[in-house]
Amino acid sequence: MADVEQIAARADQRAPTRRVQPVDHPARRRLTSDHAWLWLAPVILLLLFIGIYPFIYNIWNSFQEFNPMSGKVEPVGFENWQRLFQEMTQAGGRVRSALGTTAIYVSAALVIEFILGLSIAVLFNSGIWGSGFWQAVMILPMVVPPTVAAVMFKVLENPDYGALAYYLQSVGITDKVEPLLRGTGRFAIPAVLIPDVWQWTPFFVLILLAGLKALPTEPLEASRVDGATSWQTFCNVTLPMLRPMIAIAVLFRLVDLLKVFDYIYVLTSGGPGTRTEVISFYAYQRSFTTIEWGYGSVLGIVILVIAIVVATLFVRVFKVAW
Amino acid sequence: MASSQTLVQPVNLPIPRRQVNVARFLRTLLAAVIAGIFFLPILWWMLASFKPTQEILSVPPTLIGFEPTLNWYRVVLGNADPTSANLETTGSVGRGSGGSTFYSIPYLRDSLVVGIGSTILALLLATPAAYAMSRFPLRRRKDLAFWILSQRMMPPIVAAFPLFFMFRQLGWVDTYHGLILVHAAINAPLAVLLLMSFFDEVPRDLDDAAMVDGATRFGAFLNSLTLIRGGIVATAVLAFIFSWNEFLLSLVLTTGAIRTVPVASSTFTTAFATEWGYLAALGTASMVPIFVFILLVQRHLVRGLTLGAVK
Repeated sequence: MADVEQIAARADQRAPTRRVQPVDHPARRRLTSDHAWLWLAPVILLLLFIGIYPFIYNIWNSFQEFNPMSGKVEPVGFENWQRLFQEMTQAGGRVRSALGTTAIYVSAALVIEFILGLSIAVLFNSGIWGSGFWQAVMILPMVVPPTVAAVMFKVLENPDYGALAYYLQSVGITDKVEPLLRGTGRFAIPAVLIPDVWQWTPFFVLILLAGLKALPTEPLEASRVDGATSWQTFCNVTLPMLRPMIAIAVLFRLVDLLKVFDYIYVLTSGGPGTRTEVISFYAYQRSFTTIEWGYGSVLGIVILVIAIVVATLFVRVFKVAW
Repeated sequence: MASSQTLVQPVNLPIPRRQVNVARFLRTLLAAVIAGIFFLPILWWMLASFKPTQEILSVPPTLIGFEPTLNWYRVVLGNADPTSANLETTGSVGRGSGGSTFYSIPYLRDSLVVGIGSTILALLLATPAAYAMSRFPLRRRKDLAFWILSQRMMPPIVAAFPLFFMFRQLGWVDTYHGLILVHAAINAPLAVLLLMSFFDEVPRDLDDAAMVDGATRFGAFLNSLTLIRGGIVATAVLAFIFSWNEFLLSLVLTTGAIRTVPVASSTFTTAFATEWGYLAALGTASMVPIFVFILLVQRHLVRGLTLGAVK
């Protein structure tokens, strides 16, 4: 209740700040004479350095390639782009398979983390004792450095001495021939998803829990008075009211999932074979392992375009408001 | 929610009080089990840092009843000689390889310098920008906010090679100022949008009143700063954590003279014989301070993670 009142009060406060200012008051005049761009310039410069410069550099660099024979960077025209086209259209092309792996990884992680997160948030919001404490415990996995989390699960999932591998084997999900890590890689994607789910389900819990707590209670009560079951109330009243929060949580998770790199690098290095090679990892390999700088730049542009398109579509479709 | 239930239930659902409490107890128990499952890997990793290798690698894992050792910490934090201290008692086999030693104070120091430096830089540049976006009548405010947000969405691999090339040209590879600049840039969107949402909560009239009383615009800005102290601390903590955890760019822009904790952790595993005890000790030493910080600013965490979209 208190949250709703606070939000309403804030909305009242914010409204006047957007209105056009009257100009006759001396203080107002000083206010409009300030140069906003002077205050904004340092941050914009900083963002240009990491946002715009790499983009322009990548475009320029995509038309050249490092030649290991001469040890020099030489212009190659559209060769890198042709190669991208080939690896995207041919069956079994690395870009195509990396994009497929990324799509599988991202959608699996989103679905699992969202459903788990929503269920846990509802549970934590159902008037349990000490919900604040349990919530605090749930925050901890989120701030473990992802590489440290990946290392932890590398031990836990080790076929010879990992505890998680041991328990999964003893319940018969995996076996000695097909362990979580190594083997033919049948479980390789689940193996890299486990640390992701462990670290980021709490993200959904936290945001959806905040959303649930801020919901107005009147519609819920009305629905209960009308004789709806709690499941009906949840599906038809709670979820629609929660939609803006869900949209924001999914959006943030989505853009972060498209960047996934750390777990793959530490746990599988894209293997076995190219089984867990997501697009970020493939671009890293081309730029820094096989030293194909120009082609790495092409892949960088592809990733950026995908990230922008996905995020923009998402903002449009789900009307995420800032 | 609790208040709504006590309001409604006595009227509609005359459930005996004891039965309600049993259901509540069971739900609490389930919540405790779930929170426990999420905490278990952390607990296990912390315990592993006190276990000899054969205990770390024993399945099923032992939670109690092992002989605790401080040998991993002696090497990782105390620079003891790994071969003499650990060979027999804890099962260490090497000194580290590929220019990577297990003595981790330098890694923690590098992470700390880069984290604190980049947090200060990001806040210094972002605070005036956030204030301007909150206060000045900007015509393209919404577009600007979205552009800043879009910088947060950029995958780091896109910037990795261009920055690597730039750093090589400028001689910035393995320098603190290089990494600080990059991490500050990564955190700038967070800082601007989050601080903007805090400035939005300070009534604008306070600025106007201060300026009518003769304060300059900058004075009014400083005045607002004192009013959003809590928000600034929360922003700083989040920026520091993101810098502390950042991996890809730290990996690409350093060659070993500077090595942050995430990069060091990854080099420990790629060594031919992985030394889990050292990793557990370094992991624990790098996690625990972060836990303390994040719990201190818990109140603002949801807002921080959504860049001010959810208050």
